[in-house]
Parts: sequence; C-alpha cells; structure tokens
Amino acid sequence: MSRDSSPPKIPLRLLRWFCKEELLEDVEGDLSELFADRYATDPAKAKIKFIQDVLMLFRPGIVRGIHIPNRIIHQAMVKNFLKIAFRNAIRYKGYTLLNLLGLVVGIAASMLIILWISYERGVDQFHQKGDQIYQVFRNMNQSNGMVATSSAIPKPAADLVAAEYPQVEEVVLMSWSLDFQIALGDQNMEEEGHYVSPNFLETFSFELVESDGEDMLHAPQTMVISERLAKKHFKEDWKTSIGQTLRVDDSYLSTSEDVKIVGIFKDIPDNSTLQFDFLLPIEPFVRQSSWVDNWGNGSFQTFLVISDPKNSEVVADRIFDEINTHTQDNDLAGDETLILHRFDKKYLYSNFENGVIAGGRIDYVRMMTIIASFLLLIACINFMNLSTARSARRSKEIGLRKVMGARKGSISSQFFLEAMLLTGLAVILSVGVVLLLLPYFNTLVGLELKLDLSAGITWVFLGGLTLILGALSGLYPALLLPTYGITDAIKGGVKRSKTSTYFRKGLVVFQFTISTLLIIGTTIIYQQMNYVLSKDLGLDKENVIAVMMNADLPKRIPSYKAELLRLPEVQSVTVATGNPINYGRSTSSANWTGRDPNAGHEINVIIVDEDFVQTMGMKIVAGRDFTSQLNDSTNFLINEVAAELMGFENPIEQKLSFWGIEGNIVGVVKNFHMRDMHRPIAPLIITCFDPSDAYLALVKISGDTPKVLASIEEVTDSFTPEYEFDYAFLDDLYARQYRDEQLISRLAAIFAVMSIFISCLGLFGLASYSAEQRSREIGIRKVHGARVQQILLLLSGDYSKLMVLSFLISIPFAFYAARSWLEGFEFRVEINPLLFLLGGLVTFVIAILTVVSKSYQVATLNPVKSLKDE
Amino acid sequence: MGKYAIGEFEEIVLLTVAILYENAYGISIKEEIESRLDRKVSVGAMRTALDRLEKKGFLVSEFGEATAQRGGKRKRFFKVTPAGKKALEENMDARKKLWAAIPPIAFEFKFS
Repeated sequence: MSRDSSPPKIPLRLLRWFCKEELLEDVEGDLSELFADRYATDPAKAKIKFIQDVLMLFRPGIVRGIHIPNRIIHQAMVKNFLKIAFRNAIRYKGYTLLNLLGLVVGIAASMLIILWISYERGVDQFHQKGDQIYQVFRNMNQSNGMVATSSAIPKPAADLVAAEYPQVEEVVLMSWSLDFQIALGDQNMEEEGHYVSPNFLETFSFELVESDGEDMLHAPQTMVISERLAKKHFKEDWKTSIGQTLRVDDSYLSTSEDVKIVGIFKDIPDNSTLQFDFLLPIEPFVRQSSWVDNWGNGSFQTFLVISDPKNSEVVADRIFDEINTHTQDNDLAGDETLILHRFDKKYLYSNFENGVIAGGRIDYVRMMTIIASFLLLIACINFMNLSTARSARRSKEIGLRKVMGARKGSISSQFFLEAMLLTGLAVILSVGVVLLLLPYFNTLVGLELKLDLSAGITWVFLGGLTLILGALSGLYPALLLPTYGITDAIKGGVKRSKTSTYFRKGLVVFQFTISTLLIIGTTIIYQQMNYVLSKDLGLDKENVIAVMMNADLPKRIPSYKAELLRLPEVQSVTVATGNPINYGRSTSSANWTGRDPNAGHEINVIIVDEDFVQTMGMKIVAGRDFTSQLNDSTNFLINEVAAELMGFENPIEQKLSFWGIEGNIVGVVKNFHMRDMHRPIAPLIITCFDPSDAYLALVKISGDTPKVLASIEEVTDSFTPEYEFDYAFLDDLYARQYRDEQLISRLAAIFAVMSIFISCLGLFGLASYSAEQRSREIGIRKVHGARVQQILLLLSGDYSKLMVLSFLISIPFAFYAARSWLEGFEFRVEINPLLFLLGGLVTFVIAILTVVSKSYQVATLNPVKSLKDE
Repeated sequence: MGKYAIGEFEEIVLLTVAILYENAYGISIKEEIESRLDRKVSVGAMRTALDRLEKKGFLVSEFGEATAQRGGKRKRFFKVTPAGKKALEENMDARKKLWAAIPPIAFEFKFS
C-alpha cells in the first residue's frame, strides 16, 4: 500500500480526539477500509468522503464526554481521595489542628493587612481625572543647602500658566483650610472649607447631590456645602435648602454675611486627602487681597489638568524656573523652583527630601505587603514540612496505591487536593476570624475597613488565595511523595533522603529568619518611638493646655490672661501664633547685617508674649529673655540654629528685620524641636511685636487636670460665650504627629508575634514527630541510664543549630532594614547590637521551649512502654 | 414489546448482522444494507445503531484480525444474541398480529 493511500491526517486526528476510546479502533479501521476501497476508484472523492464520514461521526453516542472515558473511575478516585483526606485529618487531629491553626492565623493576619493596604492604595483614586491632575509644589532653596518644599504657589505663576501654557487645560486654585463660623439663626458651628476656583468641582470628582443648575462658585456670596453641613442646619429639609442662606463669618475678608447655598455635595469620603464641608468662590478673596498678586508670596494650592502625560513633562520643564525669572529684580526673593506631582500619587508619595519626592506612606505600604506575604509563606511552610515529615505515615498508602496501578500524577493530585482542601477550609475560617476581628483592627488603625462579601472581587481574591496557597503548600509534598519506590513504601521504610531533610531544615531556618527579623525590627521601631516620645524637646510639653482663642479674644489677651492666672492651678499663661512643637509659619524676607543677598533663607517666625520662654520651660543660652511686651516689642530672640545661620560671632544686639519690623536680637534660646523628628530643627525668630496675632493660649497647669480644665473652660466661655471651648494637651498634640509611626510599630509588633507563633506551631509539629520517631532510641538510651536532661539536649540539639543559623542570617537583613528606616529620622537612636542579640535570644528561647515541651513527654516516658511493641 | 423495543433502522442492522453471520463487521454490514435495500447508510448512523444494540444486549462483539487495508486496526465482529433474536421475533410477531387484524376490506382500493 502506497503512502498516499493512507487516510488524510487531520480528520483522522480529529476523529481520534473526539471518538470514544472503546469505539475508536474499529471505527478508525472501518473508515480506513472504506477509504482504501474508494481510493482505488477515485482518490479525490475518497478524501472528501472520508472527511464527510468523520464529521458525520461527530454525534452523541460516539463523541466522548469531556471525561466520559474516565468519569466513573475519576469520580470514585476523587471520592476516595476525599474520604482518605478526611480520615487522615480526623485520625491525626493534632497535626490537622496545627496546620489549620497556622494557616488561619497567617491568612487572617495577612487579610487584615491586605484590607489596610487596599485602603491606603485607594486614597484619592476616585477622581475620574485623577491621572491628569498635577499639583504644583514650590522648592525653596536655602543658604544651608537644604530645600524646603511648600504647596503654596504664588498666584501670578498660576495665572501665567493659565494664560500662556497651551498644554494645560485647566488651572484650579484652592486656598489653605478655612475655619469659619457658619450659623443659621443662633445655631453656630465651626466648619472647615476652602476658597476655590469655579472649575474645582469639574476637575475633582466630588459628587453633587443637589444644585440650582447655575454656574457654581462664580458669584460672590454663594457657597456649596456638604450633605453633612446641610443636614446639621436644615435637618430633614436639607434637600430643599438650595437657595436658602447661612451666615458665614469670613475671618479673612472680615465680613459676616448671609451666603446663598447653590449646591450640596455628597460627604467627602474618608479616602480623600481633600476634606472640607464648604466651598466658597475664590474671586472675592483674590480681589480684596493684593498680596496674592506678588510673585514672592506663596498663596494657593495650585492644580493643573494636563490630559496628555507627555505634555506634563513639557509643562514641568517650562514651569521650573518661572518664579526666578519673574523675581529677578527683587533682591529679597529667594531661589525658588516649581515642580509638578501627580495628584493621585500625593497621598502615598508625600515626602519631599531636598525638593525631590522620597517615598512617604508607600514605604509603610510596601513594608506591610512584604510582611503579609511572609506570614502566608510561613504558614505554607508549616504545611509542607508537616506533610513531608510525616510522609512515612502515608508511605504504605502510597505504596499500595502504586501497586494497584496509580500513576505518579494521581498521587500528586491527591496531595494537591488535600492541600487545597485544607487551605480552602482555612480560608473560610479566616474570613470568619477577620469578620470577628475587624472592629478591633479598625480601632487600632483608626479606619473604617470593611470586608465586602457582596463584591465579586472579594470572592475572586479568596478563591485565588486558596489556589495559590494550596498550590504552594501542596507543591513540595506532591512532588516528593510520589517518587517513593513501591517496595520501600510498602515496607514502610522509606529512607529519608538527605535532600528532603535538608530542604525541610532550610524551610525551618527561613521561617525563623523571618521571625527573628520581625522581632528585631519591632524592637528597633519601639526603641525609636520611645526615644522620640520621651526625648527632651528643649521645652516642657507636659501639663500644658493649648486653648484656641476665637473671635476678638486675641485683642483682649491681658485681661484673659489675668483671669486665667487667678485660678490657683494655673502656673503661667502665654500666647503664640501656633503650636510651638509643630510650627510652620515662616518668612524668606528676613534681613540682617552681613546677609548673603544671593542665598534664600526661610526662617520661621513665632509671635508670642513676654511669658513664652518661661511658660514653655525653654533655656536662654545667651543674652536675656523678654522682660515686658512693651519694652521688647522690637527685640527678638533667636534659636541656636538661626544664630549659626546668620553667622554672628555674638548675635546679641545685632540688627534684624523682617515683615517691615526692625529691631535687635537680645537673646538666644536653646534649640527646641518645633517640628517632628523626621526633620532637622529650623531657624527661628521669636518676637512679641504684636501678641494679638496669636490665636493659641498656652496654659501651664498643675494639680487636678479635669478640674482645671473645667475652670479654664468657664473663664474662656465668659470671654467668648458664642464659641465652643476648643483645647488640646500639648503632649497629645506631639504624640499625634507620630500616629503613623505608632500605628506601624503596633502592627509590626502584632505581626512579629504572629509570625513567631506560626513558626513555632510548625516547629512543634516537627519536634513531636521526630520525638515520636525516635521513641525507641530514647527508650534504649534510658534503659542504659541516660537522664532526662541528656535526652532533652539530644532532641533539641538539632533545632538549636537551626535557630542559631537563622539568627546569623537575619542579622544583615535586620541591620539593613533598620538603618534605612531610621534614616528617615533626623533624630534617631543608634542601632544597638544588643537589641539584635535580644531579638535572637527571644526567638531562640521560644523555639527551644517549643521543642522541649514536646520532647519532655517522650523523654519522661517509661522505656517499657516505648520498647514493648518491638 | 417492552424491553425488546427496537427502532426500524436498528431492526435492519440487527437482521443484516444475522444475515452476514460470521462476517458481520462495520463495512460489511454497511455494504450489505446498501446493496440489499438500496439505501445509503452513513458510518456514523450505523455505528451508533450498533453501539446501542450492543448496550441493549441484542448484539455481542469481539475483535478479529488486523489487516493492512484497515491501517493495522482490528475488525470488530458482531453476533446476534438470543435476546437479539427474541427482539427480532417479537418485532415480527407484532407485525404479523397487526397484519392479521387488518380487515380485508381495508385494502380494497377499487372504489376509492
């Protein structure tokens, strides 16, 4: 028969693919025979007929179902796998529990972390034009080589961009946060909002609930308010409040006017960095404030809409030097440049280091992501280790399956299935645990996280998690166990291969390296936080209450102070233009003898009264304190950093001017921390030129705090009865600055404990298994006179080596991680090698205790028991 | 009829298998039907019928020799079982009974 007379390949292959196995042989034979007959008469027709015949065979009864040939066996196998998995789980309850507990703890913990991460990553992501909005930032290059970055952009720069930059579609201005009194009738509340450009609501996707359809944010004396604010004043009728008026106390325009509500927006979601309850048109403010038209004055936050990402580079290049170009004639102007930053990245990447974006919260998000994946990995390793270590238990089963014809694939899939089942169960249990723990976790992180079980994505995630974890934990057992030889397996004496033992030990080392790393990391974070919170700030923040002075109270400071000082518990009172430990009001126009005219200097200015230094417990290192406001109104105190910056040999009695005030330096105060520890201490001028600029009263108290607080409230209320008493403790304010760090340190601590807990669960399983395996050996040793201690030493010796190894491996990683985290702080603790040792020791002790607790049972067993079943 | 129910095509296939006796396999059955009854039979239809009949227990099959003409594939030979024979008989009986019940006048077409 010539080659040509064989039937066409492709239809034949099709037939072989779809035809039932038991029918295939003779069907194919029949077709071939037919083909051969036909081929003899008409080869071309034979081929067509053949194809036709194959296609006609594609019918029920001949086509195999997707698994039809195997279905019965397959179902039976799966049923058998399930049954065996279940029986094994029940039989070795302890191990199942260990596995399950480890997985549940790991999965639940990482699910919580993932919820937190997805919240963090979701902040500011709801704006439709989010990736087209760029915020302008201003870098002020200072004489000492540092760069201060500000979001307040001179308005002329924004105007220039709007007029001359074709690539920029919109320029949106937004003022700093306004705290205005808003009243309906006699119901008066303080609210936060902004002056904004008319295109604000088109640029940012804040949803409007009601509006009167007019151009909003254009006309003066109109406002857009939040649903919350509307409900507060109009109760159930809030929806119809459009067109009604509220009285707004505009402290910047010094007006108190009725303002018409023209729109109501949905309450700003928590995941927005812009938070406000009302918006006022910026126009009236701009018209009345000529200072905003100066290139030297940073005024509004400025956002640009640029739809083409390529254009953003063009704009960034062009805008860079605009300020310097336009302030060439001004000698006092500093060296300032403008940069662009994508708005939707602002939340996570918000740290400017010398004018360049250097991370921010993203560092913590990344850190937690790594921790979450490590926790999952550690939990998976438990499963791997326990199931391979205990494989001898199942070796007979594996052997028997092989004798009965099971292929490697079938045994692999059995172990995969078991891993999947267990992880699936663990995931389900974890969801329960997460739901249970979420309220506590929310209090911890101060957020409203939700596990949305109605969202499809949650289920995709959970399913994916099960698959990935199942595959990960099942992979090694599924690859290793089927390779056992049949006879060895049946005899139950599978020689444990060196590689698998090493691999298992390697995994244990990995687990404990991670745990040690986390423990060392946590102690370092704790140490740094402790340092930060207890550091001598150069002023006394304890027992100081900061009270907000509203309305015209700053004009009546002397009588207010006198009233307060009459309270026996009040030691002293001072006022200031802001919280002295978190201060940021500055000038670049300060001038002094010998100032380098080409260098920019951003110097902080705090306006206080004569009691400031004494009340805050600050130290004068040279010269003298203010004696009285009247005498010293044009005398200044500076801090040591400022003295150094100005470069005086002896700063006392040197001339200094800023804001049009001219005077002399009379004293130098010891540096105090006026900003958080991430940043260096900035130069500062302290003046008592006009204390009525101040809006904070700082009250140093002693004695029974609640009582004093009540008395202070009473006094304050007698001066400004229409305002709520607004106060804070200075040390609270200080601690609040480190909320993120404290949160991270708490989270890190919790997860370090989790990781060591999960690792120890696995270790416990391994230790009890090896103790069991060696029970006969131990029996014999005991018969020959070995003592319990010796046996314990023997059993824990192996593991001690592993622990020491993991400690050694973790050192360089821990050192590197700790150093890069601490580098974010200008003021930080030294990395103490003892801490490493401590972390290692803690892990070691916990691990060895785990091993010993199990070994002890075996070591104290009567040798008769362990030897008699020989 | 009950458990001996077979369709018209199945009946033909079953009868042909009986006719061919020891040489009843796919192609021979197909060709036998085609030559005797002058109708086209597709391999697919026949295969399904044979398969069904075998499942019902009216046919048994066994593999024969492989031939080069069949690309090295063996023939599957079919044989009618006693149940198959019974089914054919029941079928025939049923027809006979029906024929017998027809009144002679029914086929008197002269005056219609």
